[in-house]
Amino acid sequence: MTPNGAALFALIVVIGAVAASSLAGLAILAGLLAAMAAFEVRERAHRALLRAVMVVLPLAAFMALVWVGIVGRSAAEIAAGTPGTRQAAALYVGFICLRLLLVVLAIQLVVLRFDRLTPLQFVCALRLPIMAKRLLVLTLSLIETLRHAIDRARTALVAAGLVTRRPSLRNVTTGWVLVQTVWLTAVTIVVGRMRDKWPAEQTLALLDDTLDAGEPLPLSTDDRIWLPVALSATLVVLGAG
Amino acid sequence: MFTTPRLIAIALCAALNFSIGSIVFLLKLPIYLDSIGLILCALLLAPDRKTGLVCAWLSGALSTTLSFLILNPFILWFEMTDVAIVLVSVLLTARFHQTFRARPLPTGRFAAAVIICGIVTGIVSAIVSAPVVAYLFGGVTGSGSAFVVAFFLKIGRQLLEAALLSGLTAEPIDKTLQVLLAALLYRATPADFIAMLHAPDAAPRKAA
Repeated sequence: MTPNGAALFALIVVIGAVAASSLAGLAILAGLLAAMAAFEVRERAHRALLRAVMVVLPLAAFMALVWVGIVGRSAAEIAAGTPGTRQAAALYVGFICLRLLLVVLAIQLVVLRFDRLTPLQFVCALRLPIMAKRLLVLTLSLIETLRHAIDRARTALVAAGLVTRRPSLRNVTTGWVLVQTVWLTAVTIVVGRMRDKWPAEQTLALLDDTLDAGEPLPLSTDDRIWLPVALSATLVVLGAG
Repeated sequence: MFTTPRLIAIALCAALNFSIGSIVFLLKLPIYLDSIGLILCALLLAPDRKTGLVCAWLSGALSTTLSFLILNPFILWFEMTDVAIVLVSVLLTARFHQTFRARPLPTGRFAAAVIICGIVTGIVSAIVSAPVVAYLFGGVTGSGSAFVVAFFLKIGRQLLEAALLSGLTAEPIDKTLQVLLAALLYRATPADFIAMLHAPDAAPRKAA
């Protein structure tokens, strides 16, 4: 699979999972993802499943608390104006969670399929306008900058006695200062880069050359198999209503 | 339109949306705080509405995509809410950009602008979000506002009505808080960064 093919595959599966309104529809998509995991991700597939479960499990617990514990009725029962049961509410929450699990699993499988590529290589391989690629790369690079900004700001504010290292009431009242300091630190860092560092090192010109180097890979033979299969599965799910 | 400083501003605002929004989502508070960067982006680019509209929307879309990929599988379906917030931010909130940066702080006008913009943004986003919450997720979402939906369902309201009432209860408070935080960050942003954003050429300017 190519990055473009994998991204399209995930998009089709996500649309299918959201549109699915029956367990049979979700089962079809689960089968499709299992096949993709077996052929494309292989032994790392269990990591994708584990990550998806870790994302969905807290949501499931929260929704169960709200809908089974407090409301005690499913959406259909509420719409019909019937008293409802907690079992129906639990089934409904289970269905929603299964849908979310498939959405997250599709994304995680794609992430793990290309985990040997660096983020820059993955972005370069995507068939996107150069400006979109530039924005993606700058955002990824700024995440690291923000982490540094948070470290610096937090250390300075702890040293000044404005915030504490551990959770405290003082952090609630002065936490806003930390947000403001992080913002100012990040802005100051990027202004410095734009004015001095990047022009001196010709960073943006080099980045554009890298992003523009060669045509992105066309869809591979694997993509030409997986994409029609995913599309057919989604159409069946949509047809199943 | 996409000069390097503007791309940087989009990325920074997206990161701000993502980081604060994620913390609030994990804490299950009945507010969101996931559009501060989007409102800030519209303010930073005021009074250029067209650029503000595109850049603020891009920062919202980027943070929504990041949150969807990493943490919150619900959020992608609220993209239309982002669009609505961008429109209100560009057409209304950004009109007050001079008030938000005025020195000394005009307390009364500042507070009035924040409250008006916050309430309007909140009402608009509640109306746009309610059908998504009710029809796509049957009222079930992973955010803390689900408690408010649950309360309205418990007292006998229908699903769409409960989702709308929940939105109208929580969103104006949430959005007023978001406009306040965005206005304070805008006020604290260095003037030379804002000047860079308004410079037409992509080449960074040397400090005077």
